[in-house]
Amino acid sequence: MKLELINKLFECVEFGKININSPYPPQMKGLPGADEITQEALVAGVNPDEILNRALIAAMNKVGEKFTEKKIFVPQMLLSAKAMNASMNHLKPYFADGSVKRKGVFIVGTVFGDLHDIGKNLLSMMVEGAGWEVIDLGIDVNTEAFVEKVKEYPDAVVGISALLTTTMVNIEPVIKAIKQASPATKVIVGGAPLTAAFAASIGADAYGKNPREGIIWLDLQSQKMNN
Amino acid sequence: MKEWIDSVLNHKRRQAFPLITHPGIELMGATVKSAVSDGRVQYEAIRAASETFHLSTCSSMMDLTVEAEAFGAKVNMPEDETPRVVGRLLKEMSDVEQLQVPALDQGRLPAYLLANQLCVSNIKERTLFSGCIGPFSLAGRLYDMSEIMVSIYTEPETILLLLSKCSAFLVDYCKAMKSTGTAGVIMAEPAAGLLSDEDCRLYSSDFVKQIVQEVQDDNFTVILHNCGNSGQCTQAMIESGANALHFGNAIDITEALSECPPHLIVMGNLDPVSLFKQSNPDQVKQSTLELLNRTKNYPNFVISSGCDLPPQTPLENIRAFLEAVEEFNRSI
Ligand code: B12
Repeated sequence: MKLELINKLFECVEFGKININSPYPPQMKGLPGADEITQEALVAGVNPDEILNRALIAAMNKVGEKFTEKKIFVPQMLLSAKAMNASMNHLKPYFADGSVKRKGVFIVGTVFGDLHDIGKNLLSMMVEGAGWEVIDLGIDVNTEAFVEKVKEYPDAVVGISALLTTTMVNIEPVIKAIKQASPATKVIVGGAPLTAAFAASIGADAYGKNPREGIIWLDLQSQKMNN
Repeated sequence: MKEWIDSVLNHKRRQAFPLITHPGIELMGATVKSAVSDGRVQYEAIRAASETFHLSTCSSMMDLTVEAEAFGAKVNMPEDETPRVVGRLLKEMSDVEQLQVPALDQGRLPAYLLANQLCVSNIKERTLFSGCIGPFSLAGRLYDMSEIMVSIYTEPETILLLLSKCSAFLVDYCKAMKSTGTAGVIMAEPAAGLLSDEDCRLYSSDFVKQIVQEVQDDNFTVILHNCGNSGQCTQAMIESGANALHFGNAIDITEALSECPPHLIVMGNLDPVSLFKQSNPDQVKQSTLELLNRTKNYPNFVISSGCDLPPQTPLENIRAFLEAVEEFNRSI
C-alpha cells in the first residue's frame, strides 16, 4: 500500500500530473495528482522522508535525465516541477518542525540586466526537488538584493544565472559583494554563455552546465557543512 | 519577395545577410534607446550599417518588446541595451478575455513603421526587411514565459485565445509594414524553439501560418526566425508556410537544410556572440568559409548570423565575415 503510493507519486511527478483537476497528462485525466496522493500517503503513515527521497527526488532525477536526452522539453519539465511543488507543500510542516531535514538553503536569481528565467526556474525547481530549501529572488536581481538575503541566511549557498554576454559580466561585482559581506558563502554560476573558465575568472566557487551538475556540487557542499 | 528568392535560388553566389542593427547604431553614435523609440534614428542606423558594409539586404531592429508594449505591457528602456518587458500583464482567462487587440498607433509602433517607411524611400537598391516578434513569443511576453510553457498543457483554451489575439494583431502590423514597401518581415519566434515539434506546430506554426496566409505573396516574404530550435522542431517551422526560415547557432544547419524542401530559403547560423562578438577576424573568416563549404551543395542557403548581432560587436569581425563570403564567391 505504502509502496504503491510512493510509486504513484513518482509517476505523477515524472509525468507532470499536478492535481486531480489538471487535464495533463491526458492519460491521467480525472485521476488524483501529486497533491492528492501526497495527502493520502501522509494519512496512510508514509514517512515524509520517504516521500521526499523515494518519490520526489528520485522522480526529478529521472525527469532531468529525460530532458538531457531530449526526450522531453521545457514545458514537460516545468510541469514535473509543478507537480513536485504541489507535493512539497504538504511536506513543509515537517521541514519546519525539523522532522525532515533539508540539505541546506539555496538562494538563486538571474543577475541584474537579464530577464531570461526559464533556465533559472528549472534549476530552482530541480534543486528544490533534490531536497534543498530554495529562495528564488527572480530576475534582474541587483547586488543589494543578493547581499541582503545572504545576510539573512548566512549558511546559504548562492546560485546566479545569466543568459546574455552583456549581463554575465554583472555577476562579478555581485560575487565580490557577497564575499565581502560573508566570506564563507559559496557561489555557483550558470547559464548558456558561461564556461567553467569564465566562472573561475570572476571568483565563483563553481560552474554548472545544467541543474544536474549544479546539484552534484551543491550536495557536496551540504555534506561538508553537515560534517 | 519572389525576385529576391529567385535571385538566391538561381545563383551560385552566396548572399550575406548578417543582422546588424546594433553595429549601425554604434556607427552613428546613437543609443539603443533612441533607435528603438525614434523611427528616424533607427532608419539612420540601418542606413549607416548598410552603407558601411555595402550590404544588399538589411533589416529593421529585432526589438522583442514593441508589440508587447502596444498590448499594454510595461517596458523599461536602458540607454544602451535592448528594452525589457517588466512584470506580467496577464494572469488568467478573464485577463485574456478582456485583452484588446491594439490599434497601430499604440506605443512605439508608429516609430517602427516610420523607420520602415524612411528605409524604403531612402535606401535604394537594397532589399529591406521589416521585423516583428512571433505569436508564441509575444504571448509569452504578456503571460510570462515560464507560465505559458506550463499553461499550454494546463489551460490550453486560455493560451489558444491569447494566441489568436496575438496573431490577429500581427496580421494588422505585418500588413502595415508591407504597405511601407518592404520586401518582407523577419518574424522572431525564439521561445517556440523550446517546444517539442508537436507543440511548436500547435502553439506557434498554426498561428504563424494565419499571418503568412494574410501577408505573404510575390512581393512580400515571411522569414521565420527561431534561434531556440536545436533541431527538434524544424518540421513545424516548415509547416508555417513561410518562404524562408532563419536558424540560430543551436542547430546543425546541414541537418536543417536536408530537412527543408529545396524551394525554401534557409538562413543562418553563425554564432552572434562567441564568434562575431568574442572572436578575432581570422576566426570569423575561418568559420564563415567553413560554413559556406559545408553548405555549398544547397542553393537555397543564405549565410547569416544566428541572431541579432549584440551591441559592441567589433566592426572588423563583420568585415571579415563579408570578406570570407566574397572570397568564397570568387572561388566558385
Ligand atoms: C527564450 C529566449 C528569450 C525569451 C526569454 C524568456 C524568459 N522569461 O526567459 C525572450 C524572447 C524574452 C528573450 C529576450 C532576449 N534575448 Co533571448 N533567448 C531565448 C532562447 C531562445 C532560449 C533561452 C532559454 O530559455 N533556454 C532554455 C533553458 C532551459 O536553458 P538555459 O537558460 O541555458 O538554462 C539551462 C542551463 O544553462 C542551466 N543554467 C541556467 N542558469 C543556471 C544557473 C546555475 C547556477 C546553474 C548551475 C545552471 C544554470 O540550467 C538550465 C537547464 O538546463 C535563447 C537561444 C538559445 N538557443 O539558448 C535566446 C538568447 C539567450 N537570447 C538572446 C538575446 C540576445 C536576447 C535579447 C537581447 C534579444 C533582443 N534583441 O531583445 C533579449 C534580452 C532581454 C533581456 N534583457 O534579458 C541571445 C543571447 C546572446 C548572448 N549570449 O548575449 C540568445 C542566446 C539568442 C542568440 N542565439 O543570440 N530571449
